[in-house]
Amino acid sequence: MSKADLDKLVAQFPSAIVSTHSNCGDDTAVIRSETLLSVMRWLKGSLGFDFLVDLTAVDFLGRDPRFEVVYHLRSMQSGSRLRIKVPVACSEDGPNPAVDSVISIWPAANWQEREVWDMFGIKFTGHPDLRRVLMYEEFVGHPLRKDYPKEKRQPLIRRDYSME
Amino acid sequence: MSQDLRNAPTTKPAIAEALRDIAAPAAGATAATPVAPAPSDMVTIKVDGREVQVKKGTNVLEACLQNGVDVSYFCYHPGLSSPAVCRQCLVEVVGQPKLVPSCYTPVADKMEVVTNSARVVQARQQMLEFTLVNHPVDCPICDKAGECTLQKLYDDWDHKGSRTEFDKVHKPKMADIGPHIVLDAERCILCSRCIRVCDEVAGVHQLGMAWRGDREQLTVAPGQRLDNPYSLNTVDVCPVGALTSKDFRFTLRAWELYTVPSVCPGCATGCNVEIHHGQGEVWRLVPRENLSVNKYWMCDDGRFTYKEIRSRRHSGARIGSGRGLPAQAVSVDKATSFAAERLSGTVQKGGTIGLVFNAQAENEALFGLSQVAAKLEAAGATVRRYVVGRKSHPERADKILRHADMNPNTRGAQVFAGAGAGDADALRSDLGKGALKALWMVGEDLPFDDAVLVELAPSLDALETFVVQAVHDSPLVRRAHVQLPACTWAEVDGSFTNAKSMVQRIRCSVSPAGDARSHMELVSMIAKKTRWVEGEAWQKSPRQAFLQLTAAVQPQDGSAGPFASADWGRELPPVQLRFANSRG
Amino acid sequence: MVFGMPTPDEIVSGAARELRSRPQFPPGFGEDADDDAPLPTEPMTINMGPSHPAMHGTVRIILTVDGETVKEADVQVGYLHRCFEKEAEYATYTQVFPYTDRLNYVSPLLNNVGFAMAAEKLLGISDKIPERAQYIRVLIGEISRITDHLTCVGASGMEVGAFTPFLWMIKCREWLWELLEELTGARLTHSYVRIGGVAADLTDNFAQRLRDVLAKCREAMVDVEKLIVKNRIFRDRMDGVAVISAEEAVAYGWTGPCLRSTGVPYDVRKDHPYLVYDRFDFDVPVGSTGDNYDRFAVRMEEMRQSMRILEQALDQIPAGPFKLDDPRISLPPKSQVYNTIEGMIGHFKQIVDGVKIPPGEAYSYTEGGNGELGFYLVSDGTGRPYRCHVRAPCFILMQSVPKLIIGAGVADIIPTFGMINMIGGECDR
Repeated sequence: MSKADLDKLVAQFPSAIVSTHSNCGDDTAVIRSETLLSVMRWLKGSLGFDFLVDLTAVDFLGRDPRFEVVYHLRSMQSGSRLRIKVPVACSEDGPNPAVDSVISIWPAANWQEREVWDMFGIKFTGHPDLRRVLMYEEFVGHPLRKDYPKEKRQPLIRRDYSME
Repeated sequence: MSQDLRNAPTTKPAIAEALRDIAAPAAGATAATPVAPAPSDMVTIKVDGREVQVKKGTNVLEACLQNGVDVSYFCYHPGLSSPAVCRQCLVEVVGQPKLVPSCYTPVADKMEVVTNSARVVQARQQMLEFTLVNHPVDCPICDKAGECTLQKLYDDWDHKGSRTEFDKVHKPKMADIGPHIVLDAERCILCSRCIRVCDEVAGVHQLGMAWRGDREQLTVAPGQRLDNPYSLNTVDVCPVGALTSKDFRFTLRAWELYTVPSVCPGCATGCNVEIHHGQGEVWRLVPRENLSVNKYWMCDDGRFTYKEIRSRRHSGARIGSGRGLPAQAVSVDKATSFAAERLSGTVQKGGTIGLVFNAQAENEALFGLSQVAAKLEAAGATVRRYVVGRKSHPERADKILRHADMNPNTRGAQVFAGAGAGDADALRSDLGKGALKALWMVGEDLPFDDAVLVELAPSLDALETFVVQAVHDSPLVRRAHVQLPACTWAEVDGSFTNAKSMVQRIRCSVSPAGDARSHMELVSMIAKKTRWVEGEAWQKSPRQAFLQLTAAVQPQDGSAGPFASADWGRELPPVQLRFANSRG
Repeated sequence: MVFGMPTPDEIVSGAARELRSRPQFPPGFGEDADDDAPLPTEPMTINMGPSHPAMHGTVRIILTVDGETVKEADVQVGYLHRCFEKEAEYATYTQVFPYTDRLNYVSPLLNNVGFAMAAEKLLGISDKIPERAQYIRVLIGEISRITDHLTCVGASGMEVGAFTPFLWMIKCREWLWELLEELTGARLTHSYVRIGGVAADLTDNFAQRLRDVLAKCREAMVDVEKLIVKNRIFRDRMDGVAVISAEEAVAYGWTGPCLRSTGVPYDVRKDHPYLVYDRFDFDVPVGSTGDNYDRFAVRMEEMRQSMRILEQALDQIPAGPFKLDDPRISLPPKSQVYNTIEGMIGHFKQIVDGVKIPPGEAYSYTEGGNGELGFYLVSDGTGRPYRCHVRAPCFILMQSVPKLIIGAGVADIIPTFGMINMIGGECDR
């Protein structure tokens, strides 16, 4: 059912698609990051993917591009699902990578993009309130990056809990 | 996954790719570039129906492995001769009535090899069953468990239950056969790899087989002990837990370890190693394949260099009035400020400053120091440079791996100190003459005996400013005005240049002891605070320093310089031994 | 402000509040002042949580209030963050099960099942799981759903002052947990599901005991409904409070009972049937207005539907193995492990190296207690997940809490928060 949607996407944006697969029954398209917003708007507007199920990222340390931001979409009308992946490059000692925010298309992206920023240090351009969400502001580093050691300790933060 | 899980070989994990990267020669190993041999050297064979080209003279097993076909084996080792004793690598060669041991059969043109037929898989399973008949149920107390070839092959190929009802044959356990090694003869599967390591790598015959049949056992040759300087390689090649290292056994289990590729700091050979660390400590070093440096081996001394990472560490900054008097513990920030103040004071007064390039430090720090020296000289200061290191031991040098120079980065220190640099004796005589007003040592090692150090003490005390970046604490360090804590080689990202001028990457494995910072960071901090060098690329990160230094030492005429083939490599994810497939 | 017993002024429905918004003063009060001018107020920032007696998760809400009305709200979560996703990257697939217990800890078995199904999807053995194991998964999953909803609706009464329903529902939950304890060996952190099946077969008298407990739970639910469904205080505090439309709920990523309360009949068990859910006859209850009362009512009805599923499953469950018979996935029997080297190695490799899963990625989703519980796994071919991401339904629900409570009274925060049913373990991971 959703394979048809994947085919439509490939037909509509042939130049945006890096690759596609349907392993394990999950239809997946890898698209170039600069085309993200136009592809997503079209998916919501024309194919009815009105539900952003999940938004996360994966760190493939040692691979170029290093990160992948992963979107899982669902259409509430047809029930079909689609996974969109966006590779995001980042150099070893370069600045934080960035990708466009989809919050204008799906408000549900709000906290999920904040979580990806928190955990992976990927910036979402256009997000109105990109703060850490699970970690505290004083936390140094992005814990789900593969080069963040699992055993690393962070200093204890003393906070003034009186009213701001 | 395929329908028949029981007989399917385990999928080659993608992590193997990462590991292959680790196993691949480190940066600078120029010989790694494969040169395509002339077509006449190649033969075409068929492996499982796929046509592949391999070099003449390779054996069938190697041909299969090179082309990603998994053939199980115990006794074969790429660095040793093939005796075909284990019969685990049997494959079918079309046209031959019996299965042939692939490690012993050279390839021939148009040969057809089948490695996955029912007959071959059954032979493999039967060999494993034989091997397991007398194998003790020792996994929970065996040091090799988790990285054991026997476990791996059973898990990959067999998975059948036991069919024996009788008692297992008993053999000596816990036999002390050498200074570093314990033998458990029951676990031995008689592959003879260890015997061949002694014979072919160390060049001494110290191990052999005694008795016959199921009583056959590994033993030391009469009147001998396993005490050659390469003895611990037998533990690495042992596919099971028969030979275990006294140093490592019963410390951590293999699956608790993480592995990081690095280079041994023990001598100028620069053997490629894997640092095995866990729970914030380094537990052992094992050799890593690099055909142009150490092949598959390393010496016993090199393996024990990890002990320096946690012993006698100078882990907190101190400032004081020198002369061995008690000093005050301060933060690194404060100590570097103090050092900067003292050093720039001396330089402003026109005093001669001595910069010591220690051959134990990594290239990036020494490059930073050379940048500081250049800036000072350009500003008109008198700078003297010295290359020092640990004392040489000519008696340990052999033609195998052991080098007389006990420093990992002598070539690098020489390159960055420049042509006019003095050696340790020059430093000694300059100090004796009182020619230096300030001394800044990157690394505390000096190739002198205690008597010489005692003799040097008054001249060191006469220095106006004495700054030392020390890894280990020593009386010499305590004579300094500023005693900065530096990281060991296992705590930093950087590179070493070995005796053959190959630049090899070292990688950070454990977090630094106490307040320690890398030599490069300390040099950079002092350079910033004295305002001698600020905002240069090398001060940002070790990688930037590496890129800048390789460009800086490149000859202008376009010829290949000493760092021509230097490569920083890519970042590696943490690799847990348990998820990196068993090795054996 | 005072939490606890509502004053008569507070017992007004949303519509009635409009009429009585002007302050009532005693006769003769401030006669010389202009009676019609509203009292001057200015916004005040107050801090609710992270440890607040009326909040059942550890969460902090920074409120800007104007009188009793919430003007701004910043919800801050993360106080219960345990690095689930990071830890999972360093553990074998089997070792992840105990971590999943601690996600939604009022329905741990649903998380167990969700994770196992993700690993099986990636392994390609979803269709080979023995039928009995699938029925057992449905049974324990639906029991967990009931315990989840019991906790939520019980607490909802308590939050507006009715303590008795909470005690009765917790009593029911305890009966169910006793049953699960007998089955799995643990009252709360069961870790009962395994890749390829479950850890052990059902206990002998499980079916009869479950039927008995369900009968008692039904009675208790009727009693609770008698107490609160027609209770004026309860209805006034729940009806028309924190309303959200179906379109907004979808846009904000809502799933589960909260989404269904707005009238969207999306239930993973119906829309994408997994395990053997397509063999049961059950309904998906939906609400009409999307207010707190609808969320309460949907959960009450879902418990009844879960009981229907349970009874059908008990009738249908076949005999047979309870885990996949494959030496690479299931452990060998202990007698072989302790007495033969073959069994020992088989056991050892599975425990130490883990169940090896071929490289790939899969997103598997099930209906959890609070909505679509998704696991996104990336494997690199080894025995541990290269990346294990949880789509935690209440994390996504929580981001729309400010939208629900802005404009409402401070006292409305508590029932709204309760009906969103934030479970700290799942939200913060």
